[in-house]
Amino acid sequence: MLSTTDTAGSLWKLLEQSGHPFTREAGSLRPADSHAGAGSIETHGTTVIAVKFKDGVIAVGDRRATANFAVMYDRADKVLAIDDTTLLAISGSFARAMDVVKYLRTSFKLFERTYLQPMSLEGKLTELARVVKAGIPDALQGIGGFIPILATFDKESNEGRIFFYDGMGARFESTEFGAAGSGSMQIRGVFDYIVKTVKPFHEMSRDEALKQALLLLDIAADLDAATGGWAKVMPLARTITCNGIEEVPDETLKAIIEQLDKSISR
Amino acid sequence: MHTPFDINEAIGHRKDYVEAGLRSGSPVVGICCEEGLLLVTVRRTQRKVYEIYDRQMFSAIGRQSDIENVRLSAIQTAHQEGFERSPDDVSLHRLVGFALSPALKKAFGDQMYVPVVIRGLFAELGRTVAGDCFFTLNYDGEYRQHTGIAAIGGTQSAEDRMLQVLGEPDSTLSRDEAIRRALRAWVAGARDQISAPNEDERDQDTPLKVVDEADADRVFLQEELKSGVLEVGFLQRRDKQDARFHLLAGDVLGSVISDLY
Repeated sequence: MLSTTDTAGSLWKLLEQSGHPFTREAGSLRPADSHAGAGSIETHGTTVIAVKFKDGVIAVGDRRATANFAVMYDRADKVLAIDDTTLLAISGSFARAMDVVKYLRTSFKLFERTYLQPMSLEGKLTELARVVKAGIPDALQGIGGFIPILATFDKESNEGRIFFYDGMGARFESTEFGAAGSGSMQIRGVFDYIVKTVKPFHEMSRDEALKQALLLLDIAADLDAATGGWAKVMPLARTITCNGIEEVPDETLKAIIEQLDKSISR
Repeated sequence: MHTPFDINEAIGHRKDYVEAGLRSGSPVVGICCEEGLLLVTVRRTQRKVYEIYDRQMFSAIGRQSDIENVRLSAIQTAHQEGFERSPDDVSLHRLVGFALSPALKKAFGDQMYVPVVIRGLFAELGRTVAGDCFFTLNYDGEYRQHTGIAAIGGTQSAEDRMLQVLGEPDSTLSRDEAIRRALRAWVAGARDQISAPNEDERDQDTPLKVVDEADADRVFLQEELKSGVLEVGFLQRRDKQDARFHLLAGDVLGSVISDLY
């Protein structure tokens, strides 16, 4: 029938109404002991990094996706545009992350087309928290765990902003940087070291920030078995500024990496 | 023979009721151009052209509550399908033919409810020009596909008049040229709707009117734009993958239509 106001503007309610598995009741599909060996069927995205620079935010990810000790894919795109003003860097379960990206893209568009105004930043952050939270039962059983970093350009305060989440869906705003994925813990202190000894990320130019982010990625690749470096496939970097989202061209990345290769003592 | 319930009569009454509600609606013109597709209309206070999905837009005449209902249904169906399958699988043919038309037909035939007063015009931008299409959807669920040009109005005569003014579809028109052509058609349709009841009177005046026709169109549009707003929905073809919906209004259009007549 035509009457549809109960679900107007909410993809979640629409999917719930139609019984779509994305919104299924927590833990209803699998017995609690089914996690044995689950890691081998699941592909994970590894390290992603987001740092501020003077015009916005830059997000960088290596291209590797792994399942246990196997490299499943070395062309993974883990820094994804959700809409014109939102970038999502993903780590953890690839399957869940892809579903979430599709969900958010559709959800934001549905809201805007229904209500004839874009969803607010707060609304978008809440949508993301909701889907992270919905993945908890899976994550507790050893699969489906997924941690995102959301980068956006806030036109009201005219600055880039970075939000990161824990596995429960709690949201934190970072003043300078965010990282997620298997190599992120190993490099946490390095961010602080850069801020304290070089300069805060938000004062850097794009290329300065990019250089530091790539260096961080290189350290993560050194210290984490699952993170790919840049030797085989170029990492992927996207920026978000007041002009929207742009991909950093391969040539720029190559030039900075060449510089780094010369200056880093191995 | 007396029958307690005559289906023809009942449907006729409902039809009359709906047609009366549609008669004064501001027409909507659909037209193709080099850069994409356009829906052109003059509205009062309420917005009239809406984005439905990545490559689909919609406008309608009728009761606002009914238009809103159809708009929401279309948006929800499209987004649900786009999420569960792929945005590539969302098409007007499915949306209009399988979701909206059956629901409208059912509502129209259901004697327990007040009929839905709507006549809708949908546009879909194909991957290539050959895939571009318009769909008109009527209050009784009937729908029809059009290529290149389309129009909905309060009366059949107004629709015929608009299509006549639009002429042959031309996908090489510039966007602004297409807007001008559509607006001329809109003026013709809107004037036709108003003058329709006085058909005889108009015939008598014909010699005089022919001379002043362009002038009369200009004056009519001027009057309409005093209380109304020109609104244009533009589905822009950017490349094979990407389409963008723009709502054009105000200053952007001022220069486009300044030399219309």
